[in-house]
Amino acid sequence: MLRSDIEKLHRTIMARFVDEEVIPVARELDEQGEFPFYLFRKLADMGILGIRYPKKVGGSNGSTTLYCIAMEELARGFLSLAATTAMQCLMATNGLYLYGTKKMHEEYLRPALSGEKIGAFQLTEPEAGSDLGAVRTSATKVKDGWVINGMKTWSTSGPYGHFHTVLCQTDPAKKLKGLMFVLIPSDTPGFSHSKKFDTLGTRTSSLSEIYFNNCHVPDEYMLGELGRGLNVLLTILAEIRIMTACLAIGLHRAAMDDSIKYCKERVQFGKPIGKYQLIQAKIANMAVNLEAGRLMAYKVTHLIDKKIACLNEASMAKYFTVESACSACDQATRIFGAYGYSMEYAVQRYYRDNRFLLYGGGTHEVLQTTIARQFGI
Amino acid sequence: MNIIVLVKQVPDTTDVKLDPKTGNLIREGIESIINPDDRHALEAAINLKEAAGGKVTVLSMGPPQAIDAISEAMGMGADRGILLSDRAFAGADTWATSFTLGKAIEKIGKYDLIFCGRQAIDGDTAQIGPQVGDYLHMSQVSYVYEIEKVNRKSIVVKRRLEDGFEKVRAAMPALLTVIGELNVPRYSHVGRLIDACKEKAPIEVWNAADIGVQTSEVGLEGSLTHVIKTFAPKFQREGEMLEGDTKESVKSLVGKLKENRLI
Repeated sequence: MLRSDIEKLHRTIMARFVDEEVIPVARELDEQGEFPFYLFRKLADMGILGIRYPKKVGGSNGSTTLYCIAMEELARGFLSLAATTAMQCLMATNGLYLYGTKKMHEEYLRPALSGEKIGAFQLTEPEAGSDLGAVRTSATKVKDGWVINGMKTWSTSGPYGHFHTVLCQTDPAKKLKGLMFVLIPSDTPGFSHSKKFDTLGTRTSSLSEIYFNNCHVPDEYMLGELGRGLNVLLTILAEIRIMTACLAIGLHRAAMDDSIKYCKERVQFGKPIGKYQLIQAKIANMAVNLEAGRLMAYKVTHLIDKKIACLNEASMAKYFTVESACSACDQATRIFGAYGYSMEYAVQRYYRDNRFLLYGGGTHEVLQTTIARQFGI
Repeated sequence: MNIIVLVKQVPDTTDVKLDPKTGNLIREGIESIINPDDRHALEAAINLKEAAGGKVTVLSMGPPQAIDAISEAMGMGADRGILLSDRAFAGADTWATSFTLGKAIEKIGKYDLIFCGRQAIDGDTAQIGPQVGDYLHMSQVSYVYEIEKVNRKSIVVKRRLEDGFEKVRAAMPALLTVIGELNVPRYSHVGRLIDACKEKAPIEVWNAADIGVQTSEVGLEGSLTHVIKTFAPKFQREGEMLEGDTKESVKSLVGKLKENRLI
């Protein structure tokens, strides 16, 4: 039976969307620093925001591989848009999908997948980054629900989010075993946020602090079981890491594509600089790392699609692809010479944006530790 | 309303290179896409279906890889896809192609409208739509850029002319060839695209026997025209004549040289 290869065709269509709708406006969006809601709505119309979820909740019934292909292509065009989209598709909505009631699905999940509402995911606190046992945002049980107090920082979509999946501590003595997630709508009394942070890269991803001052939420807004917050996070940790890896692959490709084009055009000493071996070496390294990263990353997405545990492989892929992307962006600015230092060319944006990938989904210092631990070290 | 849309899969470039020895298109490294005008035809058909109900069938003729054009059209919102694919169809000129499409449309049966793009970016003939309409003996309007009104009996559209437009009422069933001005085509919805790639998707592949034609009637054998030679025209530098008296011309020339940083 003759049928199209969905992964190939999906990539082709995403690539066309990025070439036609994202790349032409990326520079302007980066300069303005405002989140492009209109592009978010277009992605929703294409079913991308709901790509991981079944149709019964407004999703597209796609696989992790299709999700990651979409994120890779978006990142090739504009990492800042891709990062916020990736958050909406996964971290901001997964707990709501798994543990939310039908009413919550109608009120928050369905509008999130259609681009009408924006979700956010709140882990980090000033004293709790990689060390989640140090989370201090408290959830106190009351008769008709939970009262939340505390603050979060580095909150993607913090200022714009309509609802937040927030990691809270129910009993500080229990540390990791006291954690749980709750859904906190931003119109809950006591909810507020800081001004948007001024950041080096991914400038349209609005990051801020958010504050909870006696925010009361009903019992059903608890996402997962009491004290099982870490397990809720672990169910999607491999997916978070591999999604981040695919964002890195997209950015890597952008840096490499621009470098190849430039080194063919830029003439020095009577020939294009691409004819010089040291430039060729840079391009070759980019190409080899890209190919290796792709093999690692899409091996993991297919393992996740087969429901095979692969957190170690995902951690390795995230670590490798992000380091490769950082290197590719660095080398791209060198190929461009002084023009790489100019705001006129996109390589400076890639160079600034790549730093974002180093932190989300686990810092590389932590990842290297967890990778080594599997060998009993 | 039953609508048929004719689509063609074409190379994603208007700068097609030819192999100087064989005269064939060099397709290596060039992605294939739905012909741009055909995307507008699809959008128009899907819009009408969404407004008035009905079913959109997408029909294409091409090699097996043209299945991607069908799948993408289904991802945009078409309900059924039919690919005409048979070695016997290869090498068809516009007449043999139109005849083959016409026979397939006869097999599909009941329809109210047929939408086609104005022309394909690889052949640029703009002949398929009108020839299919002629074969099926139905009313046809080309170069449509606005659809004003549709009902069961007729459709009112505006067609673009070189110096203006014409407003036309056509009896149903009607065939329309459309231009890019008509609408902004949507991108495929990934959920529908996934469904279109599944085995149970309502997509069929028909060969010559399926549409009841002899191999001598289609493809190269059934073509009325034959290509003797294919060649790429040599690129000529574009000249520009400067108008006016000597003083004005010189001033204009200097201005242009400065503008292009030649002096």
